[in-house]
Amino acid sequence: MARWTPERWRKLRVKTGFSIYYVIFLLFIYGPMFAMFVLSFQGRRGGTSFPMRGFSLYWWNKLLEPSTVGDMQGAMGRSIILALMVMVITALFSTMLAMAFRKAFLFSNVLFYTILTGLMVPGVLLSLGMAILLRQLGLPPAWYSSGLAVHVIWALPFGYLVMMAVFNRFDARLEEAARDMGADEWTVFKEVTFPLITPGVVAAGLFGFTLSYDEFARTTLLSGAENTLPLDINASMTQRIRPTLFALGTASTIFSLLMISVFLGIYTILFRRSR
Amino acid sequence: MSKVSELHHTGLIGSQPEPDEAAVQAKIRHTEEGFATVWLITPATIWLVLFLVVPLVSIVIFSFWENTPQGLSPAFSLEFYGEYFYTKGFFDPEADRFLLPSVFIRTLGSTLYFTLVTMLLCLIVGYPIAYFLAMQVQAFKWQLALFLLCMVPFWTSYLIRAVAWLPMLGRRGLINQALLGMGIVDKPVSFLFYSEFGYTMALVQIYVVLSIGPIFFSLAKIDKDIIEAATDMGATPFQIFREIIGPMSLPGVAIGMIFIFVMITGEFATAVVVYGGKTSTAGTVILNYYGIANYPFAAVNALMLMLAMVIGIIVILRIVDIRKEL
Amino acid sequence: MTVKNGSNKSSGALSNISRRKFMGTAASVAAAGTITGFPNIVQAADPIRTIGLGVSIINEIQAKAAKDVGFPIRGQALGYGALFGKTLNQNDQYEVSECYFDMFDVMIPSKVFQPIDTKRIKDWDKVSNLTKTGMLTPGSQVGQGDAPVRQIWVDENGARTKGPSRYISALPGWHNADSLGYNPDDTGRPIESWAELFSSDFKGRVALLNVPQIGAMDAAMGVEALGLIKFGDKGNMTRKEIDFLVDFLTKKKKEGHFRAFWETFGQSVNLMVSGEVALQSMWSPAVTAVNAEGVPCIYASPKEGMRGWHGAISISAKATGKKLDQAYEYLNWWLDGWAGAFVARQGYYMSTPANTKKHLPADEWDFWYEGKPAAKELPDPFGSPLVAKGVVRDGGSYEQRFKKIAVWNSIMSENDYLVKRWTEFLTA
Repeated sequence: MARWTPERWRKLRVKTGFSIYYVIFLLFIYGPMFAMFVLSFQGRRGGTSFPMRGFSLYWWNKLLEPSTVGDMQGAMGRSIILALMVMVITALFSTMLAMAFRKAFLFSNVLFYTILTGLMVPGVLLSLGMAILLRQLGLPPAWYSSGLAVHVIWALPFGYLVMMAVFNRFDARLEEAARDMGADEWTVFKEVTFPLITPGVVAAGLFGFTLSYDEFARTTLLSGAENTLPLDINASMTQRIRPTLFALGTASTIFSLLMISVFLGIYTILFRRSR
Repeated sequence: MSKVSELHHTGLIGSQPEPDEAAVQAKIRHTEEGFATVWLITPATIWLVLFLVVPLVSIVIFSFWENTPQGLSPAFSLEFYGEYFYTKGFFDPEADRFLLPSVFIRTLGSTLYFTLVTMLLCLIVGYPIAYFLAMQVQAFKWQLALFLLCMVPFWTSYLIRAVAWLPMLGRRGLINQALLGMGIVDKPVSFLFYSEFGYTMALVQIYVVLSIGPIFFSLAKIDKDIIEAATDMGATPFQIFREIIGPMSLPGVAIGMIFIFVMITGEFATAVVVYGGKTSTAGTVILNYYGIANYPFAAVNALMLMLAMVIGIIVILRIVDIRKEL
Repeated sequence: MTVKNGSNKSSGALSNISRRKFMGTAASVAAAGTITGFPNIVQAADPIRTIGLGVSIINEIQAKAAKDVGFPIRGQALGYGALFGKTLNQNDQYEVSECYFDMFDVMIPSKVFQPIDTKRIKDWDKVSNLTKTGMLTPGSQVGQGDAPVRQIWVDENGARTKGPSRYISALPGWHNADSLGYNPDDTGRPIESWAELFSSDFKGRVALLNVPQIGAMDAAMGVEALGLIKFGDKGNMTRKEIDFLVDFLTKKKKEGHFRAFWETFGQSVNLMVSGEVALQSMWSPAVTAVNAEGVPCIYASPKEGMRGWHGAISISAKATGKKLDQAYEYLNWWLDGWAGAFVARQGYYMSTPANTKKHLPADEWDFWYEGKPAAKELPDPFGSPLVAKGVVRDGGSYEQRFKKIAVWNSIMSENDYLVKRWTEFLTA
C-alpha cells in the first residue's frame, strides 16, 4: 500500500483538474450536437428547429426508406467505401514518405512542399482543373477514380505531417541493434519500426478517413454520375431540410461511439493475449 | 546507462551533443540502411504529379486566360491580376479610396486576422487536452480512446452539423432556453449566433481537434522519467515546461498550427452558416466567382490565397523547422 | 405501385415493412431477370442521365417517368453551384440538364446544349404563352431581366434569334414567382411593399438572399419602392446603379439591419421557423414549408410585383442517336401533366397548365392554381398533410401572380462588378 504523501496528493489534484477540463472540453465540442440528438426525435410535423412538436421515431424510420431527393443510403455506402480507400492509401503513402524523409535525398525539399501544396489548393479549383483535364483526355470522372485521386491529395499532407511528428526524434538505435543482430530490412520494419509507429499510422489513416468522408468541394465535378454523401446532403438542401438529417447525424455519432467501444474491447483482449 | 547521459545523448535539453566520431559513423551507416528512398517516394510522387501538379499548372494557366461569353479563351492577360490588386482612386489623394487596398486584399487580410485569432484560441484550448492525454492518461488504449472521442463530432458531416447550430445557439435555441429558464436573461440574446462571437467559437469548436493530435504525438514521446528526474532535482513545474515539455512539443504545435491555418484560411461554410454570410472570406470570394463561371478570376483569387498560405507556412516552419528536428 | 406507395405513406410502420419487402421482391425479380438473361431487353433499357436541383430531381418523378417511357432515368440531384458547374463544364456527363433560364446568358454562347426542335415536342402547342410571348395572359407585364421569352428562341445552330423560331434553347418547365415572407405576429402589420425590407421597425430581424445576382434584385426592388432611385433595368443594372444600391445596403448593414444572409431553401425555412427573422426575401414553397411546421408565415404579394424564375429542361450537345431520342421522350413526358401535378403540390407551376389540370383533383387545382381556399386538408406530393382546410394561398391565382412579374432572375452584363461590390458589402 502506497502512502498518501503530499506529492501524491498534488499529482491527484493535477490529474483531477485536467480530467475536469477534458470533460468541459467534450461538452464544448459536442455542444451543437445536443440539439441534433434531441431534434432527431422530432414529431412527424416538426422541423429542424425548436419547438418540438411531439416525440416520434418517424425520422429514424425515414432513414431506412428510400429518400425523396437523391439516394442517401447509396451515397453513404459510396462515401464509406471511398473514405476507407483514402484511409488505406493515406496511411501507406504517409508512412512511406515519412520513412524516406528520415534520410537526406535529392529534391527532398521540392517533394516536401509539393505534398504541403495539397493542403493549400482551394478544393473547387482543384476539382475544376481535374475535370477539364479529364475531359480533354476523354476519361469519365467517377467517385472511385477521380474522386479518390483528389481526396488522397487532400488527406495525404495531414497523414504525412502526423507521421513526421511520429518519426521526429525517433530512436533509431533500436533498428540499429536489430540490424547488428543480422535482421534484414523487412524484418527490422516489421519487428521494430512498425510496432513503434503504429499509433501514428492509425492516426494518419483516421485523418484520411475523416477528411474524405466529409469532403464536398473537391468532389463537386469529380464524382461522376453518382453522388457521395456530402453531395447528396447538399442537394437535399435545395428542398425542405427534414429531421432525417439529424437522425442520420445522431446515428453516425452513435455508430462512431460504438466503434470506439468495440475497438477498446478488441484492444483489451489482444493486449491480454500478447502478455 | 545513467539517466543523465541518456539525456545528453538524445539531446532533449538544450543543445545537441558534440558530434563524436562514432556518431558520424552511425549517421553514415544510417543513410545506407533502411528501405531504398526511391521505392518509398515513387508511388506518392507519381500520384502527386498526376493529380496535384498537373491540375495546379492548369489553374495557373487559367489565371492568365480571358473570360469570354463563349467560355475560357487562351490568352496571356494580366487583367484579372490587375483587378485583384488595383482599385480605382488608389493613387488619387482626392478620392475616397485613396491608398485603400482592393476589396480582395482586404478580404484576404481579414481572413488571415480571423485565422490567427482562432489559431491562438485553438492552441490555448487544445494544448492542455493533448497534455492531459499524453501525460496524465497512462495506458495507450485509453489515450487513443479519449482522443477518438474528440474526433467523433468530426465524423458527422459538417453540412449536418451546420444545420444543428441554429437550434443550439439561435434565439429559440437550447442555450437561450436555458438562460431564460434560469432567469439569467429576460429576453433571448442574439449575440450567440450570426455574430463574430459565434463565428469564432464555431471555428474553434470545429478545428481545435486538428491541433490536439500532433501535439499529443510530440508530448507522448517525452520520457516521463526525465520529468521525474527534473522534479527530483528541484525543478519547478514552470521550469520543466520551459526546459523540457515546451521545446519537445514545438514540432507538434507547429504541425497543428499548419493544419488549422490552412483549414480556416480556406474556410467558407462556417462563415455562411454560423456568421449568416455577414462577412466575406477568401474562400467565399473564390466560390462566388466560381459560381458565375468566371474561372480565371477565381483562379487568381485561389493563387493569391495559396501564396498567403505558403508565406504563413514558411513563417511557421521558420519558427520551428519540423524537418531539422527529425 | 403508386397506389401501394400512397396508401403506405398514410398508414404507419407496419405497412412500411411490407413496402420494403415488396421493393425487395421487385429487386430480386429484376436480378433474376438479368441472370436468366434477356440481352435485348437490357439493351433496350439503356438509361439516360439527367441532373438538376432537388426541385425537379426527386426519386418519385424519375421513377414514374422511367415507368412511363420504358427506359431507366438516372437522376442526379445537385446543389445550385454544382449544377451550374457540371452543366457548363461536363456536358458529356448528362443527356438532360434540368436547369434554369437565368443561366442561359452563359449556356447559350458556350454551346453546351443543342437546340430543341419544337416539332418533336408533342404538346408544344399546349405550352403557355408565358415563355413564348412573355405574357401568360394578354396585357401581362413581361418583366425586366432574363425573362424566358428573351432566352428561349434560337436557330438550328443554337444562336439566339430575334423572334419565335422552330427551335428553342430549352423546354420550359416548372416556375414560380418569389417575394417576401414574413411572420405576421412579429411584423404586426401586413407587408405590401418591397420597401418594408428596409423598414427600421424590423432592424436586426431581416434576412436577405445571399446569391449576389438574385439578392441584389430583391434589394433593388426595395430601394426602388422606397423611391430612392429608378432603375433602368433591375435585371441588368449599370455600374452606377450597382454602386448606389451597394452603398445603401452597406449603410444598412452597418446599422445592424440584417440578421443574416441565406443561401439555400432550407436555410430560409429554418430562419423563419426558429424566429430569427421577422421578414426576409423568400421563396413561395419555403413559406408553405414554414406553415407546415406550425409557424405563421405569410407570403407577401408586394404592389411592385414579384421576381420570377423559370426552369429550363435542356439537352446536352453531346447527346446523339438513341440517347437523343430518349431525351426527347423524357422531355415530352415532363409536359404530359403527371409531373405538373406533382410539382404543383410543392407550390410550383408547370408550363402546360391544361395538362396539369387533368392530373390534379379539382380541389387541389383550385387551391394551387386558382388561389381559392382549400376545400379540405391537402397533401404534399408524398401524401403527407401539407395545407389545412380553409387556407388560401397567398399571392392569389396563377394568372394574378404572373401578370405582374417585376423582374426575372438574371445574370447581368456587369455581373463581375456586382459580385465585387457585393463582396465589399459583406466585408463592410
